[in-house]
Amino acid sequence: MGYSADEEVLRGINFHLRPGSFHFLTGPSGAGKTSLLRLMYLAHRASGGVVRIFNRDIARTRRSVLPGLRRRIGVVFQDFRLLDHLSARDNVALTLRIGRVREDIIRDHVTELLDWVGLGDHLDAKPPTLSDGEKQRVAIARAVIGRPNLLVADEPTGSVDEYQGVRIMRLFEELNRIGTTVVIATHDHRLISQFNYPVMELDHGTFGISGAK
Amino acid sequence: MFRQHFDLPLGEDGSGRFVPWIVAVMVYLATLSVAAGMAVNRSVDKWNIGLEGTITVEIAASNTRAEDPGEPMARALSLLRSTAGVRSATPLADDEIARLLEPWLGQGDVPLTLPIPQLIDVRLEAGTQLDLDALGTLLENAVPGARLDDHQYWTERLSDFGRSVQVTSAFIVALVALAGAGTVIFATRAGLAIHREVIELMHLVGSRDSYIAGQFQAHAMSLSLRGGVVGLALGAATLGILRAIAAPIEGSLLPTVTITAGAWAVLAALPLLAGLIATITARVTVVRALQEMP
Repeated sequence: MGYSADEEVLRGINFHLRPGSFHFLTGPSGAGKTSLLRLMYLAHRASGGVVRIFNRDIARTRRSVLPGLRRRIGVVFQDFRLLDHLSARDNVALTLRIGRVREDIIRDHVTELLDWVGLGDHLDAKPPTLSDGEKQRVAIARAVIGRPNLLVADEPTGSVDEYQGVRIMRLFEELNRIGTTVVIATHDHRLISQFNYPVMELDHGTFGISGAK
Repeated sequence: MFRQHFDLPLGEDGSGRFVPWIVAVMVYLATLSVAAGMAVNRSVDKWNIGLEGTITVEIAASNTRAEDPGEPMARALSLLRSTAGVRSATPLADDEIARLLEPWLGQGDVPLTLPIPQLIDVRLEAGTQLDLDALGTLLENAVPGARLDDHQYWTERLSDFGRSVQVTSAFIVALVALAGAGTVIFATRAGLAIHREVIELMHLVGSRDSYIAGQFQAHAMSLSLRGGVVGLALGAATLGILRAIAAPIEGSLLPTVTITAGAWAVLAALPLLAGLIATITARVTVVRALQEMP
């Protein structure tokens, strides 16, 4: 599987994620974790092979259909990718606004979720004024606010303390319990061992899935 | 607390700062061009309407120097008044001829000192189908040197002139619209480049192209409308000043230039047209650029 015509980043990877499953994705730096995630959250179309998401062959799916599929996928970026000109509240509300959700519903959900991730008193704060941990929690709130069918998170606990890390994992588990398929890319083996979920391991050309411990 | 807002901070960058000023200049030029076209057209219409149903008979100066200077005029009047379809035939008095020549020759006893032809103003019955060629021949036989002028030469040229002014005006407006669209394309592309990361993120979280384009087009429309209103106000002020300057010479060398309520309505639509062009241009530019994303 590759996503560039002149450079093949991923090859010989074949897996199926059961809806409602929870997986970790791990492997050394440069192994292609982020590339695999980018294919999963539809940032790229694969140059070869077949990527099926929500029972659709992405290569054969019309471009106009992709936004609707993307709205069913929550993404936590490693570098947060928050919009600096928007408040924490508006950053989290972005995905709902794009989905044309009513403003009163957005207000209630966003306020409740930011409160839950411990940012209830930072609703109007802009990202440049937040710590990395706070930014990460805003990014996570943005990813989960729309109750996605698939949640893809790249090192979601990398910038928070252990207590917040566990809280975030509990949030992901809550989402998973209501049917969201969760994939978490991480280097943190302590986190992996702490939670009993299958692990996809990517290591420069080899790919394997180990079952839950 | 929660209000309608732009997800893209388009108003905070410099990409569109010059757009209102350029649109103001464009709308200003378009206002003057359209106003000139409509004013000239209206004047040509008024001239044509004024000349409709009239002919002028000119009796050459050589005839008026005959032994009885009034005799050729009497013969011509007799012929004209006895012709079916002629409502009236009135010789122009010397002072009236002098008044017509005044803008070119100045005040004075012109007809007495210059070999000026005598003129007869002929009014025709409404809807009459007079054979002007036959009448001209009869007139020439009755009064050698007399000439009948049905003003066709002038009306045709006036109509040609009016059409030329209209075409030129439309061409200028088209150029202005193209230049305005080019400005919006430039500003929109700059905005796309400046906000590329934000747009990518919006794209990744499921934004449709139309959602992102909507923000650009609303911004472009706002900037263009603001510039358009300023341009229209400046154009209206300029037209007012020109009108005041032209007032003393109107009616002699210049036709009376008036801009009707309908014409003002057309001019008032120019900023809206500028906004519409900006909106469509921004949308097409953004949607085309976004097509390159997966």
